[in-house]
Amino acid sequence: MSPIQRLVDAFHRLPGIGPKSAQRLAYHVLRAPVEEARDLAEALLHVKESIVLCARCQNVTDRSPCRICADTSRERTVICVVEEPLDVVAIDRTGGYRGLYHVLHGVVSPSDGIGPEDLKIEELLRRLRDVDTEVTEIIVATNPNLQGEATSMYLARLLRPLGLKVTRLARGLPAGADLEYADDVTLGRAMEYRQEV
Amino acid sequence: MHIAHLTLTNVRSFRRLDLALEPGRHVIAGDNAQGKSNLLEAVQMLATARTLRGGTDLDVISWPAVEEDPLPVARLEAAVQTAQGKRTLEIAVIAQETPPGMRPTRASRRFRVNGVARRASDLIGQLRVVMFSADDLEIIAGAPAVRRRYLDITLSQFDGAYLRALQRYGRVLEQRNSLLRKLQERRGRPDELDFWDDELASTGALIAQRRADAIRALARDAAERYAELAPSEAEDLAICYVPRLPPAVAEAIREHDLADRLRATLVEERREDILRGVTRWGPHRDDVQFLIGGRHAGNSASRGQQRTAALALRLAEVELSTRRSGDAPVLLLDDILSELDPARRERILQVAYGVDQVLITTPDEDRPSREEMPDAVRYRLAEGILTRQ
Ligand SMILES: [Zn+2]
Repeated sequence: MSPIQRLVDAFHRLPGIGPKSAQRLAYHVLRAPVEEARDLAEALLHVKESIVLCARCQNVTDRSPCRICADTSRERTVICVVEEPLDVVAIDRTGGYRGLYHVLHGVVSPSDGIGPEDLKIEELLRRLRDVDTEVTEIIVATNPNLQGEATSMYLARLLRPLGLKVTRLARGLPAGADLEYADDVTLGRAMEYRQEV
Repeated sequence: MHIAHLTLTNVRSFRRLDLALEPGRHVIAGDNAQGKSNLLEAVQMLATARTLRGGTDLDVISWPAVEEDPLPVARLEAAVQTAQGKRTLEIAVIAQETPPGMRPTRASRRFRVNGVARRASDLIGQLRVVMFSADDLEIIAGAPAVRRRYLDITLSQFDGAYLRALQRYGRVLEQRNSLLRKLQERRGRPDELDFWDDELASTGALIAQRRADAIRALARDAAERYAELAPSEAEDLAICYVPRLPPAVAEAIREHDLADRLRATLVEERREDILRGVTRWGPHRDDVQFLIGGRHAGNSASRGQQRTAALALRLAEVELSTRRSGDAPVLLLDDILSELDPARRERILQVAYGVDQVLITTPDEDRPSREEMPDAVRYRLAEGILTRQ
């Protein structure tokens, strides 16, 4: 395989990149100065080599425990459970939430072959069973779509017997919307008016 | 309601069609294979957001566009005038991006209502149509899936709750069946089914109840229309809903706790569902029975009786759609008049004068004749070009 074709194929494998876009990107790299190409290659490798999952919240981080888990000024009684690392960024940006997080890295979706066992649920249970845990409330902030609701329901049934209050972000987030793209005001309000499931 | 303007770009046999329409009756004459049906099917697609039966999205895009255009796109646009005001609808069918020299194999649809990007479900119902075509025979004589599709297209146009439940049901069913197959392989735990059973039961109950209501109304009106269309016929037409529910649950279809009963069924039947890896109960397996003289119309009625039953059903649908939305749908008559005897043709034309707008295609300029339809606007369609006469 030619080097250029290898690059085109590599871009094409990325989400949201069609064959024509892959070609455009590859030719852009081809024409760009060598420093730019090296910078891109190093950035790609660096992210894989230096980023780990936080042993507590499973968020991506360059050190474990991550900054949020290590931050002693944060409330330790509440954990907000989200689908993806970007959701942590979105919720924290609102400034209205000062508790801890837990990243599931996905949602229950049988048709995509993803069951509860494929998510970081066992890791969440381990945190809650810890003798030092101060957690009394779990906010399930999965997206307001079918898979997000399925995940939230599954977690609620699992966590309620542990004597925890389980809440869900308030409606007001448009159905089918992604947390990642919700504006700060909407997201802040959804957090404030969360409801027990 | 009526279509005030229709524009088709690269849609099937039309490179470009730009048509201003008034309320009233429009007769489009043309020889076969000139794209008459394509025109009405495009209108139907603007109403239902669905591609044609047996066709893919890619089939909507005209072949020259697929062959020649760098990014082949078919565009269907309509301005619709209703009592509530004017609205514009747009569907763009966009061929998938392919490397140079490769033909696209798939296409996707984008929808706009009043110029704003929307989902298919927001488009459906903005323009309501009832299409009469020779394919209607399939509703009577075809497989159960054809009848479910008929119900879904019909009800979705005037019942938004039905449409939303139907879409959710489809997604839940797919998830549940995937989970059943996983459980069949002894992976996962049966209580993972809880959420999907709840969802399937609540959406499924709504679908079953709305279908039962609609079929009751259609059955009553269609029986009357059938008797009128075939006055010399001794046998009558009966239409009954056959929900795919255990008998005790089916009997309670009008009860408000149908969802609970359906949920109980799903839970009771889990073991068997897991064994087979498929959901066996629920509206995705419903059927509708057409009985003529008490016998199954699909296999024991004559072709003529089946045709009359299909016609009666469409006429009942016009009434139902009008009653449910307070506004008559646009009628699309796809080459059905030439094969009808004068008495039946007259009955159809009578209905055509009871709605705001009718689009009629015909291979025979004299069906309907100028005497039968003196006020009709007449067009000639040849090689994808429509000319007003
Ligand atoms: Zn952490």
